[in-house]
Amino acid sequence: MSGQGGVQYSKIAEIKGPLVIVDDVDNAAFDELVEIETKDGERRLGKVLEVGNGKAIVQVFEGTTGLSIAATNAKFVGKVMEMPVSREVLGRVFDGLGRPKDGLPDPIADSFIDINGEPMNPEQREYPKDFIQTGVSVIDGMITLVRGQKLPIFSGSGMSHNLLAAQIARQASVIGTQDDFAVVFAAIGVQYSEAEYFRRSLEESGALKRSVLFLNTADDPAIERIITPRVALTVAEYLAFELGMHVLVILTDMTNYAEALREISAAREEVPGRKGYPGYLYTDLSTIYERAGKLNGKKGSVTQVPILSMPSDDITHPIPDLTGYITEGQIVLGRDLFRQGVYPPVNILMSLSRLMKDGIGEGSTRADHGEISNQVYDAYSRAQEVRALAGIVGKAGLTDIDLKYMDLGDMFENQFLSQATDENRTIEETLGILWKLVSKLPKNEITKIKDKYVEQYYQEE
Amino acid sequence: MASSTLENTINKILDQTEKTIISDVESALHDSITTLENSVPKLEQEFDKIISDGKKEADKIEKQIVGSADLEARNKQLMALEDAVTRVFEKSLDEIKNADRSGDYANLIKSLLDDATKILGTTNVVVHTNSKDKDVVSSTLSQFPGAELSSELVDCLGGVIVKSKDGAMTFDNSIDARIDRLKPLIRKEIASKFGVGN
Repeated sequence: MSGQGGVQYSKIAEIKGPLVIVDDVDNAAFDELVEIETKDGERRLGKVLEVGNGKAIVQVFEGTTGLSIAATNAKFVGKVMEMPVSREVLGRVFDGLGRPKDGLPDPIADSFIDINGEPMNPEQREYPKDFIQTGVSVIDGMITLVRGQKLPIFSGSGMSHNLLAAQIARQASVIGTQDDFAVVFAAIGVQYSEAEYFRRSLEESGALKRSVLFLNTADDPAIERIITPRVALTVAEYLAFELGMHVLVILTDMTNYAEALREISAAREEVPGRKGYPGYLYTDLSTIYERAGKLNGKKGSVTQVPILSMPSDDITHPIPDLTGYITEGQIVLGRDLFRQGVYPPVNILMSLSRLMKDGIGEGSTRADHGEISNQVYDAYSRAQEVRALAGIVGKAGLTDIDLKYMDLGDMFENQFLSQATDENRTIEETLGILWKLVSKLPKNEITKIKDKYVEQYYQEE
Repeated sequence: MASSTLENTINKILDQTEKTIISDVESALHDSITTLENSVPKLEQEFDKIISDGKKEADKIEKQIVGSADLEARNKQLMALEDAVTRVFEKSLDEIKNADRSGDYANLIKSLLDDATKILGTTNVVVHTNSKDKDVVSSTLSQFPGAELSSELVDCLGGVIVKSKDGAMTFDNSIDARIDRLKPLIRKEIASKFGVGN
């Protein structure tokens, strides 16, 4: 760091895209916070990306529009970007850089934490195994979210991922424990109307009290989006590991984050990787996603639900592709279901929660959860095959059992998958619907569930 | 004879009809009782569902009301605290502004100049200050070879703003800038006096 910091340099060599290159700089450090002062006295924040040969490359979060080489000063602050944290951040709304956006003063901080976080010691990590109830049947029943897990939602342009994100934020809770629960919601590059929807939705449901909102809207400078998930995660880590809360972090939309990263990379003239994203996209994404988990000896947990919209619904696009390598499963929203008007349009056959098996069953949800879920996966998959077959031979050519599977597929979409945006289903209700579906099949078709559960829950017509 | 046969037939038909009607009525009654009996659990289920939905809705509304009331109260408390902190700040700044410039104040100016020249790495600097500190700064500058006092006065509470002579580097070591740098910590300290935070 530049000693005590605070030295202001006035020799600006170049302004290129979101970058400012400052000349004759001594003692600047990588990631050091920089205050850029315009000729009108306006101050913008930035950070040092590179230092060497008496030059420092500064990335300006709020953009470089209106800056001129002659009248711009760069003050090197002598510390990295920090987020002031305390319990008081709960119920607050901040912008993408962590500044209050709700008309209230800055929170009185208990401490100031480097937004880049500290890597979790792998040896200290505790295996995630406790259930989080989202109140959304398809997630709780089929793709269960577990405390400390990172489970992304892969969506597409225009689909209802923001509705789902807000519903999860409003309804999510931990059951069977008195531990505090909090939601940290980071909106990255969303439209103003969406940001307002998130804010109002949490306010009106009373969930804002246990939430922290970071809103970076589409008209905010793209570069700010690099910071938004990091300030959000810094707050989440503080709430989880210092205050012992279970924190659910929702990051939407990570595609906007990756695009901001691409913009900086292009301005730095780096060799582009796939689709122009930098070669280090994987590494960069991991510095965000890996900030989820539980630590031995600490009460709290950080669970992440990053949401990303896949350009052209392409699941092989670098963003979902690389995200999938890091996270523990994915929830995929299907365009066909969305077109049918199903909400939430989750395509369960492409979705998976890798940690589900450890977070369900006796003591967590219910003993039959795993088996009923497997049976419904199997039946829905068969229903899809039957639908395809019906498309060729017609319904008249199907057997009675095929027709039952087809009915089950319809019921699955209309009664289980479909849910009102303000409908909060308990896990018992969710499992009840799953049994109702399975009970449409004759008992001899139920091959994945132990007899004792069939006897207990099968609903005879 | 014929009339008695006709009468018998009519009676027979009437008997049969009566029996059929009675049997139909009994069957209908039986069916109704069965339907009623069967509908009781369904009714109970519906009743339970209505009660449970109502309870859910009530819980939701309670959460909304309690949540927004809590937040409103908290926000008012935050604003009140901020008001108090601002008042403390203003009073302190006023005291600093009107502080006596004699005695130890020269040492403070010297240490501010020391800091600034060390950070800039040179004593070949131009020093800016306000009208109140001008004399103290001027007398202290003799200890910094190459340093000059600018005739341009700056608007600040006190302290110095030091620039390298080529104008490339500036270090603001005015009291205002120092307070600005430490403001979050000072706010925390003041808030703790009101019993907020650590």
